[in-house]
Amino acid sequence: MPGKNRGVRIYFARHPAYKIRMPQLADLTAAVAAGKRTDTVRLTQELLATGLPPQDIVERGLVPGMAIVGEQFKRNEIFVPEMLVAARSMKEALKILEPLLATAGIKPKYTAIIGTVQGDLHDIGKNLISMMWRGANFAVVDLGTNVSPERYLAAAKEHQAHIVGLSALLTTTMPAMKETVRIIKAAGLPNTRIMIGGAPITQAFADDIGADGYAADAGTAVDIAKKLVAEAA
Amino acid sequence: MTTISLTGCERVNRMFARQEQDRVPRQDTFWPETIARWQREGLTGDHTEVFRLLGADFHTICWSWPMVFPGRRELLAEDHETETVRDAWGGVARFWKHRSGTPEHISFGCDSREAWEQVYRPALLAAPSPLDPRVAVRQFREGRALGRWTHLAGVEGFEALRRLIGDEACLIGMIEDPEWIRDIVRVHTDVVLRSFEGVLAAGVQPDGLWIYGDMAYNHATLCSPAMYRELVWPAHRRMAEWAHARGMRVIYHTDGCVRDVLDLYVGAGFDCLQPIEAKAGMDIRAFAPTHGSRLAMFGNIDVMKMATNDLAAIEEEIRSKFAAGMATRGYAYHSDHSVPPQVSWDTYRAIIGFIDRYGDY
Repeated sequence: MPGKNRGVRIYFARHPAYKIRMPQLADLTAAVAAGKRTDTVRLTQELLATGLPPQDIVERGLVPGMAIVGEQFKRNEIFVPEMLVAARSMKEALKILEPLLATAGIKPKYTAIIGTVQGDLHDIGKNLISMMWRGANFAVVDLGTNVSPERYLAAAKEHQAHIVGLSALLTTTMPAMKETVRIIKAAGLPNTRIMIGGAPITQAFADDIGADGYAADAGTAVDIAKKLVAEAA
Repeated sequence: MTTISLTGCERVNRMFARQEQDRVPRQDTFWPETIARWQREGLTGDHTEVFRLLGADFHTICWSWPMVFPGRRELLAEDHETETVRDAWGGVARFWKHRSGTPEHISFGCDSREAWEQVYRPALLAAPSPLDPRVAVRQFREGRALGRWTHLAGVEGFEALRRLIGDEACLIGMIEDPEWIRDIVRVHTDVVLRSFEGVLAAGVQPDGLWIYGDMAYNHATLCSPAMYRELVWPAHRRMAEWAHARGMRVIYHTDGCVRDVLDLYVGAGFDCLQPIEAKAGMDIRAFAPTHGSRLAMFGNIDVMKMATNDLAAIEEEIRSKFAAGMATRGYAYHSDHSVPPQVSWDTYRAIIGFIDRYGDY
């Protein structure tokens, strides 16, 4: 489309960075990973102006940035503050891109439901996992805290969830996790996989109650979710 | 086997000095639901009776967690399980009505540096002390009469930060506005120490200071060791120096995995770490040999193992960890968090028996 390309040329001819080089997806990836919100928004707008499809900006620019964050987090090279500022940068970029994606009818391929189990009001762990799943381009439905097994099941059905994530911080609420897994499994949803996590949770407990996956931290939660949806496909 | 017999106070002080003791000092924490279960299973009395049976050695004189608006509790909503209130820190939180557990923090009144400087900082500094010296004197005398190691208790800056401005603002602020974070920690520490001064002025002579602050989760510290060192550690060191200057030892409480900051704790002047959460990967069998001479270890007995009620596994947990801790003479028994209601009364009585068996020097 000649007109569109001409617009891009005019835009960059006026842009102070033009004389240096065109914006690159790699720059956006680096900006997200470093949690540079202003740069992330600017680069997103510049890449859009080049005519790059929003989906490419998400999948080839933003998601790899959050993947770097996840890897660094797993290795204790960065900590929660750095993860938060990176996720916030991505969120700001998505505010620009999501309306465009919606107009084009493009949705994330996978949907995840997440909540803290019944009897438990903690939410920081759940919120971190939500951020990282969004960063991996999952559509995330956050059910909040103190979520009953029945609400998890209803939401899993309504949203045709690929992943249901259960969080618990207290040893006292682990039985609620077991009951939730039991009810969802009994419903026989063929494409839904259940992941659990939280301070008192272990792989052994996950195995014991029949959960499909256990994530020790927010970085690993992305890997496990991807693995589970791939296995279910 | 030693032949000396000590009071709780003597025992704990000797633990800190790595001197000869008759047995390991002991303390524990229980969820209210645990005590309720045990009462149904034959416990006569409440947690004080459990402390008596356990042979608890520690006694809390007072608990300092300064509030910005003392006494405020405005009910905003409720259902059959929870109530949502605007609380004494200016935030909105949802609490359980009939069970234990920490609240869900819905919003925080102190949501910006401006709010802190214009409203919350002056209010915190002007608020009355959270401590009643008369109550503290009574508690101190009670602890002394029981022969226990008496201590002040209070919340440190990191925990106060999270309660005042929330996890997200706190952790992002550590990157984007560190001076704001440093100021909150500094002011909170000033107010806590001022409250303790009021108690000491009333004639209380505690043996120690027990500082509470959860700065980690099951994977690592919430912020990097470098960020902790820069923003929070100076206040920790100030609290420890304050206590040491008054002849007190310092216990630091944090849940979570704090392996990477043990040296910073030693450098801050902490004398003891508690409760050393096993399910976060903390294991005194690994670091008592490396840090036990400088940092006493208090706890680490895995509540998840207790919750299995598998006596053989629990006995091995206690035997092996007591052996590691006692090798330094700087070890005290505590569960690695709070004993949960999955633990039967029979199991906990067996646990006391294992502590008797393996905890004698």
